Parts: sequence; structure tokens; C-alpha cells
Amino acid sequence: MSRPRLTFHYFHLMPWPDLPPDFDEKYDSAWVTLPNSIYDPEKGHALYNRYFDELERADKLGWDSVCVNEHHQNAYGTMPSPNIMAAVLTQRVKRARIGIIGNALPLHDDPLRVAEEIAMLDVISGGRIISGFVRGTGMEYFSYNINPTLSRERMNEAHDLIIQAWTRPGPFSFEGEHYNYRYVNIWPRPLQKPHPPIWMPGTASLETIDFAAAHRYPYMTVFMPMEQRKRAYELYRRLAEEKYGYEAQPEQLAFCVPIAIAETDDLAMKEGERYMMWLFQKAMKVPTEFFMPPGYMSLRSIRAAIENRASFGFGNTTFKELVEQGVVIAGSPATVIEKLSYYTEVLHAGMLVTGGCTDGMPDYLVLKHQEMMAREVMPYFRQQELPPEPRPVEIHSEQH
Amino acid sequence: MTEADRAGDRIERTIEVQGIATHLFEAGPPTAPPLLYLHGTHLGNLWLDHHRLLAQQFHLFAPDIPGFGLSERPDWMHDMSDYVLYFRDLMAALGLERAALVGHSLGGWMAAEIAVWYPERVSRLVLSNAAGLRVKGVPMADIFALSPQRLLETCFENLMAAAPLIPREINTDYFVRLYAERTTLAALAWNPHYDPKLARRLQQLSCPTLIVWGARDRLIPPAYGQEWQRLIPGAQLVMLEGTGHMPMFEVCEQWVAHVSAFLQPSQPQEVKSS
Repeated sequence: MSRPRLTFHYFHLMPWPDLPPDFDEKYDSAWVTLPNSIYDPEKGHALYNRYFDELERADKLGWDSVCVNEHHQNAYGTMPSPNIMAAVLTQRVKRARIGIIGNALPLHDDPLRVAEEIAMLDVISGGRIISGFVRGTGMEYFSYNINPTLSRERMNEAHDLIIQAWTRPGPFSFEGEHYNYRYVNIWPRPLQKPHPPIWMPGTASLETIDFAAAHRYPYMTVFMPMEQRKRAYELYRRLAEEKYGYEAQPEQLAFCVPIAIAETDDLAMKEGERYMMWLFQKAMKVPTEFFMPPGYMSLRSIRAAIENRASFGFGNTTFKELVEQGVVIAGSPATVIEKLSYYTEVLHAGMLVTGGCTDGMPDYLVLKHQEMMAREVMPYFRQQELPPEPRPVEIHSEQH
Repeated sequence: MTEADRAGDRIERTIEVQGIATHLFEAGPPTAPPLLYLHGTHLGNLWLDHHRLLAQQFHLFAPDIPGFGLSERPDWMHDMSDYVLYFRDLMAALGLERAALVGHSLGGWMAAEIAVWYPERVSRLVLSNAAGLRVKGVPMADIFALSPQRLLETCFENLMAAAPLIPREINTDYFVRLYAERTTLAALAWNPHYDPKLARRLQQLSCPTLIVWGARDRLIPPAYGQEWQRLIPGAQLVMLEGTGHMPMFEVCEQWVAHVSAFLQPSQPQEVKSS
């Protein structure tokens, strides 16, 4: 089977855009400590359903997948349980894959539950689940009071447990440092073989790139300047080739980039400036201490992060600067195609993750964005096709 | 050479304990009563007035707790029991069969644990603004949520007294070191940030104990000083006015006077609440 040069994944954060007018002055964070009295469940009811409608439309317009993720106690993304969102989507989205990108494994004391829920979703959806694994943001280690110094170990171990639960005949025992089970024997088992595809979104940790490269899992760069994305892809490629002995393929390199698309470049810039800045200036407003709790990053990664001035938010960066840095894309269909072609032709990255209304953008505009992407951008990248994609490899960090 | 000069003549060295190259300062008359001083978070590799003054009367040992200052923390060392066993061996390596323990903040928590597990090795115990307990309804500040600047502002009533903690150059190395030290603290005290069993165990302590606290402590509020006193049989409490979490920096002479008076068994004790 051949495959397109670029696949299109419609990703929603399901944010809470309705922040008080004095948010900038009064609150230093949209996470952890932002009072939940700001959340209005009545409005939330309408908003959730509007967001689901949006994802359902993406399916009908031909997007390859619709994606959700997990975040806690914040206004940036209101999906503390992404598997519940995915369950809803199995009933609304009839064709596209359903991506959970991802479950934040170290936050959970019982990762077997994640293995079970993904297996359930995979069976219910007829094998359409993409299972992302993430560590969760630093902020979530405050919100869930999970020790960030154990984050990496718990991530690796939970990953091994879940893969084994999906692929090894049960019952068997799992003997880890953090997770111990006498009886691993999940019912149901996932439908996809050997298991649902796994993605690994990442922001700054070198170790995540290594882990993804080792397992041949797609690595997704999230909201970062082009220079940083390039460094991440270069590292992935180098590790694949020199450490793990294979050549990284385009479908292993994903990029999460918000896109403002309109009839002209000028209009796209105007709409982007009006509706996207909320995400970067408000929803991503977080003190450094929340973003990088102690031990969440290795000293090697923290040094690189400090030297690269990595941060979650983008402070006073203007929309124009975000476009110039490659954090976002804005333009007419021709411009968007040109920018995406840089990813496909120069960086050889083959999965675009984008979409999702953020700052209360009116629904007709969201629809217009979705349609322009589907009708004027996707066809360009679907004309030329590539050879079939390789399978992931089964390796585990340790025998448990 | 006067006694004071000799006392100020510190020795700085590194000794190997459990495979950990431990950096320490040693000072004071070798014939004086031994005193092991355990510093708080981010306060390793310092030689300051309170050390000098204590070394005038005691044979002072001030090691950098592994993970702080110049002592590295190996990966296997990540809970309080690892530290208690390490200090048992450190004391043996220093030839301290029995010593007075003075601990501040995180070091106070460690000193209390050592006294619980190895009571025969602790002659007297001084806990200053010590972590390790929980007082329900009176939360400690979330140190992990504080920026370096906010942390200083929370710990110090008088920021001028924080001068010894300000590095000559604030660069990447400084931030990485700070992050590494916070990581050590998080390994020990992210959740729970206290020892749930300590309160019950303290009630078995029999060694004479002094609790010293800054009345304005905003990191570990004074209610914690009162709780230590309530739990440890016979413990005395000194509440120092006009200072907070860092009394040995801000009211150094007063703090040292209380500690010394309590630790010198030959002298009449004149410890009063001020």
C-alpha cells in the first residue's frame, strides 16, 4: 500500500477561552492555581459539544484523524480524561482515526487502566485508535502531586507494562520498580495488531526523542520555533541511524503547528493575530517553576533548555514573530502549501497535526479554515504517494 | 595564637562515605565537644559567621549534605532512610561516636531522624526551623513553586542578610546547580513533604532537645516549632523575634548564643524566650 506525503490530523485542545478581562494583571498562571470559579459548567456544556461538532466535521471533510489530549486543572485544555473524549468520538467520528496524544502515563498510579481503556476504545472504534504517550507537562506534577523526579522512570515502566499488556498472552506478572502486578490479563485486548500506533509528542527533553527513536515511534514537535524543531528532527534522525541502525521515515516525524488559512496572506495574518494569540499569551502563561519542576528534566536537558531559552509560553512575542519563527503558519492556501512543503521536502516530516479552535473563534470561521485545508491544501499533498510505512519495533527498556 | 584564631582556622576536606565524596568544613578545638551541623536546602558549601562562632566553643563538622554544595548525590540515594544510614556512616568516618546535632530546615529534619534511629549517637539535639512534620491547617509554603527570587523573599526578613547566597555570576551553571539541588529536595520531599511516621516516633526521644525558630518564618510557620516542642518530651522552644526562616543569618549572635548555651552542659543554661 502506498501512502501520502503528508497526513492531516485535526487536533483539539478544547480550551476554556473565557478568561476574565483582568486575567493579565491578576493571574500569573493559566494552570494549577487559576481559580476554577472562572469555569462555568453551563457554558462548558455548549462548548464541549461545539468542539465535538468541529471534530465530527473534520472527519467528514477528510482529515486522517481527529485528536484529543490530557491536561489537568487549567484553561488551556479541558480534557482531564482524554479517553472519555475518545469514547465520545468513537460514536461521532465514523471514518477517521481517533488520536489520543496522549495519555500522561506517569501521572497515573495504575497504568493498567490506560491499557484497558485504550483496548476498549480500539475495539469499540473498529481499530481506529492512535495511542499517544506523554509525561504530562511540568504543571501537572503540581496538580496531581506526582513526584517529578520519578517522571521518566514511571513513563518508561508504564510504557513497557502497557505494551506487554496489549501484546503478551495473559495472565502474566509484571515486576517493576514503580508498578507491580501479579496478574496482567486485560480484557478486552486491542483490535489492531500488534497494538494501536503510538505517538510521542515532546517539547524539550532529549530523552523523549531518544525513546521515540529507539521504538520507531513518531515524534511530534509541539508549538516550537523552526530552529528547535530542526534540532529535534536532526537528533531523532541521528539517533535512528547511529544508535538504532535505521533510517527515520517521514511518518516518524510529526509537527504540531497552528495554521491560520484564509483567501489572502493579509487576511490570514489578521485572523491569526486576532484568534491565535490567546493560546500563546494567555493559555500558555505559566511560571517557569510550574513548567520545569525539579527532576522533571535531566540536567542535560535542563541545560539545553536554559541555553535555548525554552519556555512554555511565548510572552510578548507578536503574531508576526510567531509566523517568522515557524511556531505557527499563516497565509493563503498557496502560502500554506509552500510552508508545509518545507516540512515535507526539506525536513522530510510527514505528519501535520493542527486545527482546533482556541480563542472563541466564530464557528463559521473555524469551518472555513477546516474546509480550505481540506479542499485546497490536502489534495496537493495527496497527489504524490510514498511506499508503505514500516512497523514499530518491540523493545522494552528492561525485562519486568 | 588565641583560641578564637585557632577556632577560625577551618579545615576544608573531602571524605568518602558510602562511595560519596563528601565535602565538609571542620573547625574548632579538637578537645571541645563535637557538633555536627546539618544545613538547609541550598545552604551547602558555606562558611559563615554562625559556623565561625559555633567553632569557638565546639569541634564543628559541617558537611555538605549529598545533593547540595559540593557533595554529589548518587541516583540510588532518594529517600530519608538513605540519608539516615549515610549520616550514621559519616559520623563513624569522622570518629564521632556521639555528637551534638544541630540541624536547620531540611537538615533539621535529617537530624531528628538520626536521633530517632540512632539515639545513642546523639548527645543533644537542636532543631532550627526544621522541616519533617505536618501541622494540619497550617501549610508550609510550596518551595517548589517559588522562583529563586521569591524563595529568598520568603526566607529572609532582611534581604541584606542573604548576600552570602547571591552568586558572583548568575549564569547557566548557576541555574543548573540550583535545579539539581531542588531535584534532591524533590526526591526527598515532594510528596509527602514530611515523614508521616515521625510525629509518633519523636515521642520516644530522650535526648535533650532545643527548638529554635524565627517568629516570622513564612516557609515553615512557627506553629511547626510549637509542634516539635509538643512532640519531643522535655524539648525547649525559643522563638526569636524579628526573624523568619533564616535566624542564623539574620540574628546570628542571638541564635548562636541560644544554641551554645543549650549545648554547653557545663554552663548554666540561660535560654529564655525572647
